[in-house]
Amino acid sequence: MSTVAETSMTLTPEHDSRPSASVRSRLQDALPKIVLAPSFAATIVFVYGFILWTIYLSFTNSKTFPSYAITGPRAYQRLWRWTFESDPPSSWYTSITNMGIFGFLYIFICLALGLFLAILLDQKIRGEGMLRPIYLYPMALSFIVTGVAWKWFLDPGLGLEQTLHQWGWTSFHFDWIKNKDFVIYTVVIAGVWQASGFIMAMFLAGLRGIDGEIMKAAQIDGATTFQLYRRIVIPLLRPVFLSAFIVLAHLAIKSYDLVVALTSGGPGGSAWLPSNFMYEYTFKRNEMAVGSASAVIMLMTITAIIVPYLYSELREKPR
Amino acid sequence: MSVVTTTARQDTGGTNTKTLNRIVIYGLLALFALFYLMPLFVMLVTSFKTMDEIQNGNMLSLPRAPTFEPWLKAWGETCVGLTCAGIKGYFWNSIKMVVPAVLISTLLGALNGYVLTKWRFRGHTLVFGLMLFACFIPFQSVLLPMATILGSLGRFGVTLQNATGLTFGLGNPTVNLVFVHVVYGLGFTTLFFRNYYEAFPTELIKAAQVDGASFFQIFRRIMLPNSMPIFVVTVIYQFTNIWNDFLFASAYAGTGDSMPMTVALNNVVNTSTGVVEYNVNMAAAMIAALPTLLVYVLAGRYFVRGLMAGAVKG
Amino acid sequence: MAFLEIDGLKKRFGSVEILKGIDVDLEKGGFLVLVGPSGCGKSTLLNTIAGLETITEGEIRVDGRTINDLHPSKRDIAMVFQSYALYPNMTVAGNIAFGMEMRGVPAAERQKAIDKVAKVLQIGHLLQRKPSQLSGGQRQRVAMGRALVRDPKLFLFDEPLSNLDAKLRVDMRIEIKRLHATTGTTIVYVTHDQIEAMTLATKIAVMRDGEVQQFGTPAEIYNNPTNIFVADFMGSPAMNLVPATIGGNGGGLSVVLQRDGREPISLPLAKPPAGLSAFQGKPVIFGVRPEALTDPEGAERNASNIATADCHIEVIEPAGSDTFAVTNLGGKAVVARLRADAKIQPGTMTPLAFNLTKAVFFDPATENRIL
Repeated sequence: MSTVAETSMTLTPEHDSRPSASVRSRLQDALPKIVLAPSFAATIVFVYGFILWTIYLSFTNSKTFPSYAITGPRAYQRLWRWTFESDPPSSWYTSITNMGIFGFLYIFICLALGLFLAILLDQKIRGEGMLRPIYLYPMALSFIVTGVAWKWFLDPGLGLEQTLHQWGWTSFHFDWIKNKDFVIYTVVIAGVWQASGFIMAMFLAGLRGIDGEIMKAAQIDGATTFQLYRRIVIPLLRPVFLSAFIVLAHLAIKSYDLVVALTSGGPGGSAWLPSNFMYEYTFKRNEMAVGSASAVIMLMTITAIIVPYLYSELREKPR
Repeated sequence: MSVVTTTARQDTGGTNTKTLNRIVIYGLLALFALFYLMPLFVMLVTSFKTMDEIQNGNMLSLPRAPTFEPWLKAWGETCVGLTCAGIKGYFWNSIKMVVPAVLISTLLGALNGYVLTKWRFRGHTLVFGLMLFACFIPFQSVLLPMATILGSLGRFGVTLQNATGLTFGLGNPTVNLVFVHVVYGLGFTTLFFRNYYEAFPTELIKAAQVDGASFFQIFRRIMLPNSMPIFVVTVIYQFTNIWNDFLFASAYAGTGDSMPMTVALNNVVNTSTGVVEYNVNMAAAMIAALPTLLVYVLAGRYFVRGLMAGAVKG
Repeated sequence: MAFLEIDGLKKRFGSVEILKGIDVDLEKGGFLVLVGPSGCGKSTLLNTIAGLETITEGEIRVDGRTINDLHPSKRDIAMVFQSYALYPNMTVAGNIAFGMEMRGVPAAERQKAIDKVAKVLQIGHLLQRKPSQLSGGQRQRVAMGRALVRDPKLFLFDEPLSNLDAKLRVDMRIEIKRLHATTGTTIVYVTHDQIEAMTLATKIAVMRDGEVQQFGTPAEIYNNPTNIFVADFMGSPAMNLVPATIGGNGGGLSVVLQRDGREPISLPLAKPPAGLSAFQGKPVIFGVRPEALTDPEGAERNASNIATADCHIEVIEPAGSDTFAVTNLGGKAVVARLRADAKIQPGTMTPLAFNLTKAVFFDPATENRIL
């Protein structure tokens, strides 16, 4: 702990203090740093320190309890082996395949649907004020509630299937939520339902921020509505696409609750994402080292996406 | 942007195509509105139905004889694990956890934002960058060490209790969760306030300094009274996030009487003993959703702004 | 001993030197204007006087007391900011009294001081309003009221008029001048507007790149600029700076100006500066203000050294009170200021009178004035 505190102090050298200043005024000069220090120290210890700790654990053979003897990259070797174990699929294989399917579909559909709805809503719609909150409210709900609602809705015996049967469409069959090959797609549906409205709001804000004169100029140049959107508006929304992608990507990798609440992991763990894999291996299967290794892999994936983004965001505004 | 649509409509020529276009647009919007409302609607109507009606009736039909029974049962009687005293206790657990966590993290975020914009020092961008990155980490990567630390603190609390009769909150799952949510919420609250204070005129701080106000006086008298909008945004964002959290809740308070609402709800719904009472499940889910929905209805504008502020960096 | 003394003041950010040794002083009751293009360090200098920025080297003294390391509030100064910096959450009265409140002045005394200042600035009816309910000019007054109420040793103004529209700016300029005259306070004033500098100052410091280029009274700065930068920066329209050569004219010297396609003009100098003889046959920069280049009838009658030459008029700009004529000398557009009713046509050869008593010469290599 003390070394961490020192680190924060060297990061914040007291270049303002002058030798002639009194102790009290030097304290005044340092006050801002003293105020920030607890938060920064907490971040260093509980985020970065803990990440290092997790990385450390992934190189031990910790089972139910942490063990601190380094035994090498055995956990990673196992994950690596499982990565190619597709028949029958290992839990890890299922998790990362699901991550690929879920991540791609979730991000792609949310972006497409969000943009589509935003463009529709931007056509001078009467009742926009009523529609917008309807599209957006799922974001206020907990994934657990979302999961419960959709679990009911998609249940073959209770939900949509049964309803359509009652309405006379008896051949309708929709049991993805109980099917190990399709269960991940139900997670996509519920996930999209929850987040797409928010992405719509982001795009709508972006659309409203576009300079009206550019639009007028394009119309005078003879662009049709479709051309206007394809050639002018959507390219101008690039920053929104980037922000929305970042939000969705990190939501996707963090998704854990939804899988638990919607599918309880799916038949035989077939709906697992790496986050569920980590939780199960760490807390239920007593394979702490493997769980840690999977957490490290998740972290590295996010880091690869976020760090370049943050770097450019923070660097573009030099002061 | 409104210009577009006016001329866009002129482009399409005849009145008929124009009307058709509008019909298609409104039709699509209405269809999607249905898609978003459907699960909530089903949840709501089911929570007012009897079990009999659920098993024999249609999911989408309105309750024939609306009953509050499932709500009362969810609140006061349903079983969470082996305890059958409803979810009310867990609801209060969540409240007890959310209120302090939101207040502490918001206040710290405000102070951090103030320092990071108005009292800059060499390396302030690095400090902020490190805190900001913490918003994005998958919490799985800190879950285990935190569990270990909380466990040790709990044992230390027992020792303290034996020695002094007080645990000072050590080992209390609610206190633990408050701590965890403050620590991992700091990045967001700092981000919100930093971006807001970034646009806050620095000359005001200079003027206050010339007027003789100290670091904290400036914060209290100048910054805070002018921060209401971002306060609302941050509080709503934190409230929603912490209320809805499941991962930390299940990892650090996943069993026993101190589990928060989300974990309790998951236990109610996934219980494997006895007949599944769907109406009670739905009522419990509605109760769990109500606080955040209420916030959303009352302060939707700020809610959206909060989400956006979290999404678009400054 | 001057009232405000700044000795060898330096300010560095890392390896970048923002202020490179500033020496300026001001008598009690004086009005010092720091003027220069943006980025010249004038605002930084003002902030160091206020104590809002630390200094690396040197000393700042007010009334004989060194204030280098004092907190802004302990320096007995008041400051008016560019954006006025009124606290949006407080009323006008609250804004004015905030400093006193911080110093623990009792409420009754504060009220008295507020009333007094409100009377001077005629803002009594605004006291209970919030800043957002005020117009630009009213905000400006409140900001000045907040400074006045402290009755400080030194007033600091940081571009206080730059956010006002043109007409209001002139009004407020006069107001500030009147305030200075009636209260007799000592003022340091930052601006990038040379007209403000000329009209308000008793002393001007023209700054560039963290250095004072010239320090003196407005008349000294205007009539005797020490270098090309000062000559060019002060005055509107700007001084004509024409490449020329110095020729011998019997015993005396003359300045020779090239014209496009015509024989050069040679203007005899009656009292050339002593240093100019060394430049005989060499290039110099010939500086003449537009008002010293006019139609022969409009020329100053009792000036001792007036030379007239035919110039090709390219453009004329009637500005109401004057007419400006543009000709080309030494490859540069040269502006002459004529009477409003001067008979002049573009595209013609017209005689122009050069008032050479007011002319200045610069060394093209060093850009300094030849004395």
